[in-house]
Amino acid sequence: MSVKQETKKRGPIKLGTGDKVFYAINGLFLGLMALIVLYPLYFIIIAAISDPDAVLAGKVVLYPVQITMDGFKRILQEKSIWTGYLNTIIYTVLTVILSLVVTIPAGWALSRKTLPGKKFLMIYFIIPMFFGGGLIPFYNVMSSLGLVGSMWAIILPSVLSVWNLFMTKTFFESSIPDGLIEAAKIDGAGEYRVFTSLVLPLSKAILAVMALYYAIGQWNSYFNAMIFLQEETKYPLQLVLKEILIASENTTGGSGETILEQYRMANQIKYVSVIVSSAPVLCLYPFVQKYFSQGVMIGSLKG
Amino acid sequence: MQKVKNGPDSAALAVQPEPSKARKTWRRLRENHPFLVMVFPAVLAVFLFNYLPIYGVLIAFQDFMPGDPILGKYTNWIGFNNFTRFFTDVQFWPLMKNTFLLCIIGFVIGFPLPIIISLMLNAMKGKRMSKTLQTIFNGPHFISLVVLVGMLNLFFGRYGLVNNIAASLGAERVSYSLEASAFRPMYILSSNWQDFGWSAIIYIAALSNVDPGQHEAAILDGASRFQRVIHVDLPAIMPMISVMLIMSIGGLMGVGYEKALLMQTDGNLEVSELIATYVYKQGLTGVPDQGYATAIGLFNSVINVVLLIIANTTSKKFSENSLW
Amino acid sequence: MASLTLKDIKKVYPNTESSPKKKKKKQQAEEPGKEKANLQITDEGVVAVQQFSLDIADREFIVLVGPSGCGKSTTLRMIAGLEEISSGQLYIGDRLVNDVAPKDRDIAMVFQSYALYPHMTVYDNMAFSLKLKKMKKDEIDKKVREAAEILDITQYLDRKPKALSGGQRQRVAIGRAIVRSPQVLLMDEPLSNLDAKLRNQMRAEIIKLRQKINTTFIYVTHDQTEAMTLGDRIVIMKDGFIQQIGTPQEVFNHPINLFVAGFIGTPQMNFFNDCKLVEKDGKYTVEVLGSSVELSPAQQKALKAKGQRSCSIVLGVRPVHMTLDDGGFTGKIEVSEMMGSELHLHMTVNGSDVVAIIPTVGIDLEAHSIGKTVRFSFKPELMHIFDTATGMNLL
Repeated sequence: MSVKQETKKRGPIKLGTGDKVFYAINGLFLGLMALIVLYPLYFIIIAAISDPDAVLAGKVVLYPVQITMDGFKRILQEKSIWTGYLNTIIYTVLTVILSLVVTIPAGWALSRKTLPGKKFLMIYFIIPMFFGGGLIPFYNVMSSLGLVGSMWAIILPSVLSVWNLFMTKTFFESSIPDGLIEAAKIDGAGEYRVFTSLVLPLSKAILAVMALYYAIGQWNSYFNAMIFLQEETKYPLQLVLKEILIASENTTGGSGETILEQYRMANQIKYVSVIVSSAPVLCLYPFVQKYFSQGVMIGSLKG
Repeated sequence: MQKVKNGPDSAALAVQPEPSKARKTWRRLRENHPFLVMVFPAVLAVFLFNYLPIYGVLIAFQDFMPGDPILGKYTNWIGFNNFTRFFTDVQFWPLMKNTFLLCIIGFVIGFPLPIIISLMLNAMKGKRMSKTLQTIFNGPHFISLVVLVGMLNLFFGRYGLVNNIAASLGAERVSYSLEASAFRPMYILSSNWQDFGWSAIIYIAALSNVDPGQHEAAILDGASRFQRVIHVDLPAIMPMISVMLIMSIGGLMGVGYEKALLMQTDGNLEVSELIATYVYKQGLTGVPDQGYATAIGLFNSVINVVLLIIANTTSKKFSENSLW
Repeated sequence: MASLTLKDIKKVYPNTESSPKKKKKKQQAEEPGKEKANLQITDEGVVAVQQFSLDIADREFIVLVGPSGCGKSTTLRMIAGLEEISSGQLYIGDRLVNDVAPKDRDIAMVFQSYALYPHMTVYDNMAFSLKLKKMKKDEIDKKVREAAEILDITQYLDRKPKALSGGQRQRVAIGRAIVRSPQVLLMDEPLSNLDAKLRNQMRAEIIKLRQKINTTFIYVTHDQTEAMTLGDRIVIMKDGFIQQIGTPQEVFNHPINLFVAGFIGTPQMNFFNDCKLVEKDGKYTVEVLGSSVELSPAQQKALKAKGQRSCSIVLGVRPVHMTLDDGGFTGKIEVSEMMGSELHLHMTVNGSDVVAIIPTVGIDLEAHSIGKTVRFSFKPELMHIFDTATGMNLL
């Protein structure tokens, strides 16, 4: 009898009160975090398309006011931004190509047990992860290599990140079965052929992850460009943005009136330039995020 | 049963010498030399951009002028003079304090946050919602430092959003980027805003490997969801936490000086000047004093390595987890 | 097709890795790692194979069989050139190949995991080795289609391995190996990833395949049925040593020691411990379970030729060689398994377990159910006599 009654009642398993509270608080907190992350980004967008006076007056908080595309029109005339854009694209493309050529084969070689001198090489690559010469000796090396002032000063030091190298190595170790390599060797393939005909076609995931890591790294970097480049025509986008977004801030002084005037003129451009420079990366991001996360997870396999 | 016969030419077999060790090594080298070719460009890159600078550290012990050879006829070795000079520099204690405070406060907030977030995301009921939130949380990681600091200036500027809201509530307008007291909170909060989601990925990955059977067993044992977070999930990511702890303690003093440099203003210099930014200014701007700057940088790296070793040894002693 | 000679081959894995972390990683690595588990550990390192000498004739089908960890896969991989030979010589034909790279040995191999190239179609998988040999396109095409025809996979040539079933993948793996007409075809447990039905089917296919292609086969398995049905000769290994080499008949009828006797044949041979071989006035008798059995004339002769003395022995009798009659011994039935054409009786005889297989034709099943007592006997000429001390067959 009682069994029958039990079965009648059965619906979805009921949560205890404690669990209900837990899920509610959990969801609420995470939702709040999402708001904290999203709101600044949202504000940048509404501020960029609102009337600058309304922004300064604090009227723009939740939605755009007096929508205008003036900012975008004006930024089209900012030549330095577009030169920077072009430079950054060139630097990024070259960095990605070279870094893949350097990182992928090296990662493959390091993942092989038969690599001659493997122990030594591993130590050789691990040491720079934890110890470096520092900024000044690095600058001096670049200077003696004759790279200061050249775009290669931006590109060449970025072609190998030891972290990425080890990530690649771990990927190869965990995702290419030994049997496959042995089969190819018995089929008559040499090491180079194994690499080109077998390893490369099977490692699209790591190629994508590495390309994205190196690309984002180069796209977002400013420091090397700041210390190595003198000519403004070679400036990458981030350095141009630094002038627009930050340099003016340092010299702020004078009476409130002039500051306000400065803000009025420059503010809109700032909001728009943030959008223009970050848009390619942020728009690409949701589509490639699985690769990024994959990269982090590949790295985590090591631990 | 069949008896084992000799080979095709047993006389020849008899004199066949055992392959010597040298021959084996040679054979291995011949077969595997392509790997050396493949690894060579990386070896070269690391040599040029990582090892040559380590060699260049020698100038920390010299009275060095830009353009001098590192080991030349007229090299003026001055031992640890540059170091003692730094220790007696009026800037020394402020720099140490600024660097340590920024790092330690940043660490205390920035280390646990991703762990908490990953546990919370993992404990969410809807898996799709959790995925979407992850995507949102990771987003800011891809914003460049320049843009991030630019955004700080926009939001916290005298006529920025924060001041506008504060003013409407009747408060004074403050240029936060010029306020020394605002530097550390702005620095640390913006860093966390940018990277808490990204740092959580590694823990989320570890959590996704937890055997669901463990959770089911805990449910049958009567554990609530919260108890399961504490007794199932947290222990599962403990090894990862140890590793990350060692790594971040090792990198403690390598705090992002690129960002600090961008945030520096005349107003906040007293707290925003870090060892690394000081190295930059001493060595590359104004009248460069490279030997001195290198010595300071070396001092910083050595502290880092020592911290790393201490962290690793401690971790080894108290748990099974260590980097080496 | 070529003959092979292995002379005193030895494989040692040097003791380089000592930290437990690395060992764990090694064991996960793959089959060879697992096999190393219970091997001898000496000062030199872990010895996987030693004193391995074997002549393989042209076109012969050799099966290496043994429990896991016996060194059979390591031996095969040394022949393939995937593992270095620590000492000894390996000849393919008349050529010493110790230092020759796998690709120059003119061998092909079928892997347990199939190891098909996942990004290539079946056709390209099979054509890969020929392309590397710089063979002409139309010739490659001809060879691939020929091999596909033999294996009945022509309709799958355009598919990728992912789209194939286990049995089809297995065929492709074999196709990839035979397409280049290798001198030696190596097979490393090729059927162990298939389910029982497919395995039987593929076993028959391999026997047929052998008639169609001209090559020497070396086949590794842990399954003694495969070994018996496929091999011209079987090499039984244990702990890195060869135990016995012989035709299926030889190893079945005359196992050289207790291990081989127990390993070959299912169900396992019955062993009666604590028996005695008694020599009296030039006549040999065996004392077993309290009665005394006189050996056959042939056995008498063999023992006499050796000058064998009285000693304690283990007596072995295969289940199929037990007959239920009114003779000598009594056993109590513990389990009775009806297999259709035959009945497997598990009995306790004097405290030890004994299995008998009897045909079911005209049998009274009721009389052979659990708890019943039966009488049985076995013919002297079908007995195996092993020295208790050494485990060796005395006949």
